[in-house]
Amino acid sequence: MATAATMVSSAGGLLAMLNENHPALKLHALSNLNAFVDYFWPEISTSVPIIESLYEDEEFDQRQLAALLVSKVFYYLGELNDSLSYALGAGPLFDVSEDSDYIHTLLAKAIDEYASIKTKAAEANDESAVIDPRLEAIVERMLDKCIVDAKYQQAIGMAIECRRLDKLEEAVIKSDNVHATINYCIDVSHSFVNRREYRLEVLRLLVKVYQQLPSPDYLSICQRLMFLDEPEGVAMILEKLLRSENVDDALLSFQIAFDLVENEHQAFLLKVRGLLTPSAQPPEPVQSGPASVQGVDAVTSEDVQMSDGTQSDNIATSPDPREATYAERLTKIRGILSGETSIQLTLQFLYSHNKSDLLILKTIKQSVEMRNSVCHSATIYANAIMHAGTTVDTFLRENLDWLSRATNWAKFSATAGLGVIHKGHLQQGRSLMAPYLPQGGAGGGSPYSEGGALYALGLIHANHGEGIKQFLRESLRSTNVEVIQHGACLGLGLAALGTADDDIFDDIKNVLYTDSAVAGEAAGISMGLLMVGTASEKAAEMLAYAHETQHEKIIRGLALGIALTVYGREEEADTLIEQMTRDQDPILRYGGMYALAMAYRGTANNKAIRQLLHFAVSDVSDDVRRTAVLALGFVLYSDPEQTPRIVSLLSESYNPHVRYGAAMAVGISCAGTGLSEAISLLEPLTSDVVDFVRQGALIAMAMVMVQTSEASDSRVGAFRRQLEKIILDKHEDTMSKMGAILASGILDAGGRNVSIKLLSKTKHDKITAVVGLAVFSQFWYWYPLIYFVSLAFSPTALIGLNNDLKVPKFEFLSHAKPSLFEYPKPTTVPTTTSAVKLPTAVLSTSVRAKARASKKEAEKAAEKPEPSSGKGKASDKDGDSVQIDIAADKKGEPEPSFEILTNPARVVPAQEKFIKFLEGSRYVPVKSAPSGFVLLKDLRPNEPEVLSLTEAPSSSAGGSATGQQQGSASAMAVDEEPAPPQPFEYTP
Amino acid sequence: MDSKTTELSQTFERFKAAFVRKDFDTCTKLLSQLKVLLTKFRSLPPLFEETTNAIHELTLARDIYEHAVVLSVKIEDQDAFERDFFQLKPYYTDARGRLPQSPQEYPILGLNLLRLLVQNRIAEFHTELELLSPKALENPCIKHAVELEQSFMEGAYNRVLSARQTVPHETYVYFMDLLAKTVRDEIAGCSEKAYDSLSLKDARQMLLFSSDKELFDYIKEDHPEWEIKNGFVFFQRAKDSTPCKEIPSLQLINQTLSYARELERIV
Repeated sequence: MATAATMVSSAGGLLAMLNENHPALKLHALSNLNAFVDYFWPEISTSVPIIESLYEDEEFDQRQLAALLVSKVFYYLGELNDSLSYALGAGPLFDVSEDSDYIHTLLAKAIDEYASIKTKAAEANDESAVIDPRLEAIVERMLDKCIVDAKYQQAIGMAIECRRLDKLEEAVIKSDNVHATINYCIDVSHSFVNRREYRLEVLRLLVKVYQQLPSPDYLSICQRLMFLDEPEGVAMILEKLLRSENVDDALLSFQIAFDLVENEHQAFLLKVRGLLTPSAQPPEPVQSGPASVQGVDAVTSEDVQMSDGTQSDNIATSPDPREATYAERLTKIRGILSGETSIQLTLQFLYSHNKSDLLILKTIKQSVEMRNSVCHSATIYANAIMHAGTTVDTFLRENLDWLSRATNWAKFSATAGLGVIHKGHLQQGRSLMAPYLPQGGAGGGSPYSEGGALYALGLIHANHGEGIKQFLRESLRSTNVEVIQHGACLGLGLAALGTADDDIFDDIKNVLYTDSAVAGEAAGISMGLLMVGTASEKAAEMLAYAHETQHEKIIRGLALGIALTVYGREEEADTLIEQMTRDQDPILRYGGMYALAMAYRGTANNKAIRQLLHFAVSDVSDDVRRTAVLALGFVLYSDPEQTPRIVSLLSESYNPHVRYGAAMAVGISCAGTGLSEAISLLEPLTSDVVDFVRQGALIAMAMVMVQTSEASDSRVGAFRRQLEKIILDKHEDTMSKMGAILASGILDAGGRNVSIKLLSKTKHDKITAVVGLAVFSQFWYWYPLIYFVSLAFSPTALIGLNNDLKVPKFEFLSHAKPSLFEYPKPTTVPTTTSAVKLPTAVLSTSVRAKARASKKEAEKAAEKPEPSSGKGKASDKDGDSVQIDIAADKKGEPEPSFEILTNPARVVPAQEKFIKFLEGSRYVPVKSAPSGFVLLKDLRPNEPEVLSLTEAPSSSAGGSATGQQQGSASAMAVDEEPAPPQPFEYTP
Repeated sequence: MDSKTTELSQTFERFKAAFVRKDFDTCTKLLSQLKVLLTKFRSLPPLFEETTNAIHELTLARDIYEHAVVLSVKIEDQDAFERDFFQLKPYYTDARGRLPQSPQEYPILGLNLLRLLVQNRIAEFHTELELLSPKALENPCIKHAVELEQSFMEGAYNRVLSARQTVPHETYVYFMDLLAKTVRDEIAGCSEKAYDSLSLKDARQMLLFSSDKELFDYIKEDHPEWEIKNGFVFFQRAKDSTPCKEIPSLQLINQTLSYARELERIV
């Protein structure tokens, strides 16, 4: 009897029993088999037909048991479809709460099945699609169980997958932390819901849920509403907040406005702004704010004066103090929504914190051969990019002679470069460019500089061109010189980005129909810029013309333009993409690649990736293949870690075009991340055998490494030295030399205070940035398009604002070693270049001393001298840091582990996670964001505020149009009081 | 002894009585009842629970199934035989360590082997054989079946037929009769392949029939496609054996071309 458990070794006996006549025996056999199926399924599988026949036998009363048994056998056999259909037949015997592999697998299968049926039905718009009610029951049982067990995330995932919005709502409402759950939902719907319409549906539901909450999170709601393109909702919320008695609500509304602006959706912002009008007043005086400028004649230099004047009238007429506050706040919020406030603050920040290293440019200039115009203009491009948005044009001023060597198109680019440098200088943009602008038929200036100036105006006003549009249109109409038309088209496209203005479109179309290659190319791109993301039927018109014309340049411009129109439309664009990718003309196929890139930007959509990879290896045209690989970068930018993996094979292709594409794809999607894998992939390509691959790799590397300090990745230093070597090397190819020069520019872009960002902090795609990079990648064919890269730059700063949208003095903590994120050390005079190559020889103390010195300089530039009045604890910043330094010195430690930053401060993306706000300081942020614009709540409103960033770069507006070469003014140093950038002109 | 066991024993006694009387209808009915009763016992396979009366119950159940197997032979029901044998088998294999060996074990195993032979399920026959111990192979009942199989495979069909006289157990007779038929089918199959036609006399001899009538009946029943003409039996086997397969040239060409194309695309 000691034999513990006698195990049955075969199911043969039980199977034989199934053939018995007596139902009791069959039942006995079935139930025992069911218990032993885990061990004996191979034996049972041969008898499945018998069991199936039992299930089908109407008279047998244990059919469900038979079904369950068959289902289990099929499960073991791996026939999940059959297994599922029998499991459905098993009815209640299929117990969803059982914890076994079988149940788990089948549940997953059931949900998949259900989801796919639902999806198919939804996609085919087929309401009548029959869904097995038993399947539905199982899924519902599962959903309910998840909700009851408080596994909300699972429930949400399932509900979204299965398109059960009712359950989704239930899960969200019942969850214990509704806000967190909703945010989770949003993330999920962005990353996993591929179909755009469905995603919108989900978001709409979430907004509904949000609004029902007792304490709605307005920040998130507005983000969602923006995604849904519902300006009315946003306007309503903003108005409610603005009308509130509480100052905090107003702060919140400002914060919302800033967040919305960050997403760069100009058309949407305009609509919101249009809706936010003083209630009691007739809308005309305010609404015509931007439009009222339209009458302005071309000579008026006060170009972009927004409607402040008209609004002050409104305030005066409203007697009610509450109305007055409201009107005042309204003015502010409209300012924010117009983008002016943030642009202005950014400009001030970039100006005051500019750290660009002129020595680098000087080295480049000296090493570049005189007659090599490519490198000459590359240097001009690099300078423009390096100083993008800083308004510092010292280099140009100091080298006017050298600059004047630029002729023809180089002159065009040189002039346009000013636009990049003064990007965002909305108030004085026009007066700055005045000397170069076409002078109403007076002739005089070279058409190249005139065209360049118009392009520059577009760059200055990119995506915020309300005030300049009209002028650009007039310039376009009044000229028939194709170079000027070229500049005007580009400028107009930039200024009216995404506004879909029909009148402008017609103007540009007229230029297109002149069938001039130069103007037509710009017109094609410009039409695309104008219609970004509208998916309008204008695309068909453009396509038709692309077939008609003989000029490749025009076709290419149009191809890109068409691609831009489908920006972000995902599936909606499929027909157009199909049409383009099947075209005979390789240039249109090439446009098709861009269309794929734009339509599926940042979605990491599998279908798009598959298509692109297919074209990358199968198309006959090298251009198409290159672009297909490059386009992968756009599709994948929301998931930069993926890109190096996906293109790694392509980067080893025998075809240099594919290698180039791979380098650019990595550059685009990993821009500003400093991702280690991306750098590893690009490194070998920077010494490729083919010159243009080297060029692409260098540029891409610079895009990846922008704002990565040498301390966090030593390869940054190596790369800088490599660039220097290439530039100085006499025997290097022009192509790679140009790449190296541009790379130096991008690496130190915007005075080392900007990074390339394609996603906003809320994971919304930044339309301007993406479009900018897309057009930038066209520089392969047309160098002046390099300037479009400036659209992708966004300042890496934390700028705290108070109630008045002023920048108060405010301190916060960066909980990391300062050296990790500090500015790169300024290069030394060329004679001591050997020292640069031996970084180990530099003592840590001297490094720090230098860093400290530069920091102090920055402070000096950034702040007014600190007043002691009423500032108890926060003002001892200097003392603090000094103490820390001393302590560090004593212990011989390399550096302190944290750093106190002062508003506004440079916060690079990698640094964001270390940012902490100090407890007990006077200001508390409305939203604890580590970068960008943050509204600060003043806890001690009665004390006087200390403001920083008050000085703005100003120009002697309306300066003499004759524009002498005021070389003396160029002595302006970065740290001194701002000297007005003077207009200048080339010697003819 | 609880009521269940008592009831089982009593029914079994009645079954045995009927069995001795050769009242097989009653036996079948009682057997069905017995089987239903057996499902109530948790000590039996497949559960093998350790209960106080486990050994007794197991023995009793084994006895019942052994009788059931014999009964099925008696009523010449092969399906029932198979069913009952499989239900009996766990008592021989899995409960071997706990029960004394049954005297009926080898005869029944031998019977099963014979059945497999009759049904021409040679693969299963050998599977079963592999499971037997060397000692069991010595047993005359098993040995008989093994020898039969060998003769059968060699084609020594007369030895198979003569073995009917030397059956080790009376129940074997039924299967031996069936075996003759199996042998005949085998011969018929071979002749069909080997000859185009045979004279009636040869055919009769070959198929081991004693009279022409038997031969005609057999042909009519099992091989209606055979034709009897002029004192000859014509085996109308399908002459049109499938022609050797054509080389799928077109398909291969396509494949090769597509490989070439794919190679082109390698990046």
